[in-house]
Amino acid sequence: MSNNNDNAVFSGRWQIIALLLPTIFILVVFLYFPAWHSILMSFFRNNLFLGTRNFIGFENFKNLFIGPFAPAFIQSFFQTIVLGLLTVVIGLSLSLFLSYQANKNIKGAKIYRMLLIWPFAMSPAVAGTIFLFIFNPEVGVMNNLLEYLFSVKPRWLDSPILALMLVTFATVWKNLGYNIVFYLAAFQNISTEPLEAADIDGAGPFRKFFYILLPLLSPTTFFLLFTNLSYAFFETFGLIDILTSGGPVGPPGILDNTGITTTLMYKVFSDGFGGSSNMGFAAAEGFILLIMVGVFAYFQFRSMGKRVHYQG
Amino acid sequence: MKKLIYSLMFLLTLSTFAFAGGSQESKSSEDTKVEAPKEVKEIYCWHAFSDAPRSKWIQDRADEFNATQSDFKVVVEAKGSYRDTLQAAVLADKQGAAPHIVQVFEVGSQLAFDTGIFKPIGEIGSFDTDDYIQPVLNYYTLNGKVNSIPFNSSSPILYINKDKLVEAGYDADYVPETFSDVIELLETAKSKGVEGAKFSFCLHGWYFEQWMSEQGAEMVNNGNGRDARATETMLNSPAAMKIGEFVSELASKDLYTYTGKFEDWDGNDAIFAEGKALLHMTSTADLGNIAAACEGKFDMGVGFIPIPDGSERNGTVIGGASVWIAKNHPADELEAARDFVLYMTNTENMVSWHKLTGYYPVRNSSVEALKEEGWFDTDAKQLVAFNQLLSTKINKATAGAVAGTLLDNRTIIEEALQKIIQGADVKASLDEAKEISDAKLDEYNANF
Repeated sequence: MSNNNDNAVFSGRWQIIALLLPTIFILVVFLYFPAWHSILMSFFRNNLFLGTRNFIGFENFKNLFIGPFAPAFIQSFFQTIVLGLLTVVIGLSLSLFLSYQANKNIKGAKIYRMLLIWPFAMSPAVAGTIFLFIFNPEVGVMNNLLEYLFSVKPRWLDSPILALMLVTFATVWKNLGYNIVFYLAAFQNISTEPLEAADIDGAGPFRKFFYILLPLLSPTTFFLLFTNLSYAFFETFGLIDILTSGGPVGPPGILDNTGITTTLMYKVFSDGFGGSSNMGFAAAEGFILLIMVGVFAYFQFRSMGKRVHYQG
Repeated sequence: MKKLIYSLMFLLTLSTFAFAGGSQESKSSEDTKVEAPKEVKEIYCWHAFSDAPRSKWIQDRADEFNATQSDFKVVVEAKGSYRDTLQAAVLADKQGAAPHIVQVFEVGSQLAFDTGIFKPIGEIGSFDTDDYIQPVLNYYTLNGKVNSIPFNSSSPILYINKDKLVEAGYDADYVPETFSDVIELLETAKSKGVEGAKFSFCLHGWYFEQWMSEQGAEMVNNGNGRDARATETMLNSPAAMKIGEFVSELASKDLYTYTGKFEDWDGNDAIFAEGKALLHMTSTADLGNIAAACEGKFDMGVGFIPIPDGSERNGTVIGGASVWIAKNHPADELEAARDFVLYMTNTENMVSWHKLTGYYPVRNSSVEALKEEGWFDTDAKQLVAFNQLLSTKINKATAGAVAGTLLDNRTIIEEALQKIIQGADVKASLDEAKEISDAKLDEYNANF
């Protein structure tokens, strides 16, 4: 938009402000005010049940890094990053591959597409419960099958590596539909001309994918990168709660300070609303999470934003 | 044209502000409620049962109570989980709209007490509590006063797959008495090739609490938090070590199984009901469900929970919930609320409550009535649960711990036990658990 008033849709500053007001109102009431409130809360000893509110300065933050609560927090901090990266990398590459395949002109393509998108329509609670039934180590379908075929019964929910893999798998699977919808739309928007030109130049399918399709898909990828990361940080809560309750603790000596699938979001919840409801402490954890997301967003927009190619 | 559209949109936007409060309708209806002639005062009763049978039972009792008099009307509302119910009550009290009656779970007793929104029911007029089963009432007596009336109470019992027991060469009525009996039974069964020679209780801090109580050991200091506010947990006491070592032995000899998830009641019940475990332990309240699930698959027996070797059976702690009365109400409403609570837990009602759910009837007279009726002859398994409860000794260990962080404690214990299951050192794990748990307790106590 230029400042040229002839082109401007909105004639005056006040009109713009008036039209923005509802959005700003909603943002302030439901986002900025609660966020500000919780930042303030992190400087208080605040218990949800007792309604206490004693100013204790940086003690909540100190407890995050020094003392008996620190190891669990630090472990869950790194786990959040690991789970986030795994979800984004595996999720995006898998959905890119699947939507590339589903975009082909084959018989029943519409049915494939529908089936691929469908898990997204399921609530995390339902998805978690289904996974829990399937992966019950003694009576679940998965282990019945594996025992019959290979006579092994993996401990899906209390072996740290398997539990992490299972949660990652469930997280990726649950969000696959969302990514595929966007990639399918992006594929269908790509004009055939550059591809035809590449064909004429004698480029193979590999080259075409990496040098033409991938750059043309970069705006979508960029968008999905951020939505997936925030999904992994914030929305995996439901799945984790039902599937593992944040467990299992890692093997003795390594990562055994808290459950291996306890992400920061899960920890904020269980410290703030679980147990004795230490809201101040949870608010301090939330503040760190906020900073973490901010840092991610900054680097993402700085490094990726430059390379994204917007067509037309 | 464009201008017209935009100004229309602008008007529309402005008009939304008029409704942005969102409370136009509800406000007016509330107003009329308040201004209506106050012949009938409403008594709000909040509970935490989301299932139809139990919430309907409470609703039915309220309807009956409402029919007996015309001054008060009990309004029953389900408020989600126990935690949600208590949190909602605290928030409602802040806004001056506290319910009268709130169902609070047993480990939340200290939290509920500390919120300061409740009045000990023992202070509302005088009434007789002698008929309530002593070990149950004990839990809810704080500072010598009956704080709340027990409502839904249960404790854990041992479930046995008798088919596997016989297969292992044991008598069908055998019940392992101690930890070493359990290990011996399971090892024998394993050596005889019995499939699922395992103990399948879910990984829950509740069992730790039970085993501490059975040894007469307290969970927290200051008389289990009943003489004064608890300041220290006993998670690495000798009694606790015995429990840790038992779990460690079970796991290292591959005699324990669970779903792997913390507090996974249903998943572990399924393991037992599908015949994948010889021994199981869960609440008496699940007796009906598990019996039904095992029906036709194998012969199921029940018994007292096994206890550590060399300790005298001291008894279990009560689990479940009690009902509390919120204080910020006029005296007549408090009395009406109390009357409803007493009505709900009267002799006949506790009989029907027990039959419906498997929770203990909390009155001695109800137990007598059930005996006379021959209820226990038809369902002898229920009697095991009763005998375990009635033989419980009255002391501070079986009265149960009170502390603000009992819920945190459970999580910390579960993590420690899981470490032990994975092969960590028992002493080190429990020491660490105590350190974290004490820090949590300090943090909580610093609120006062």
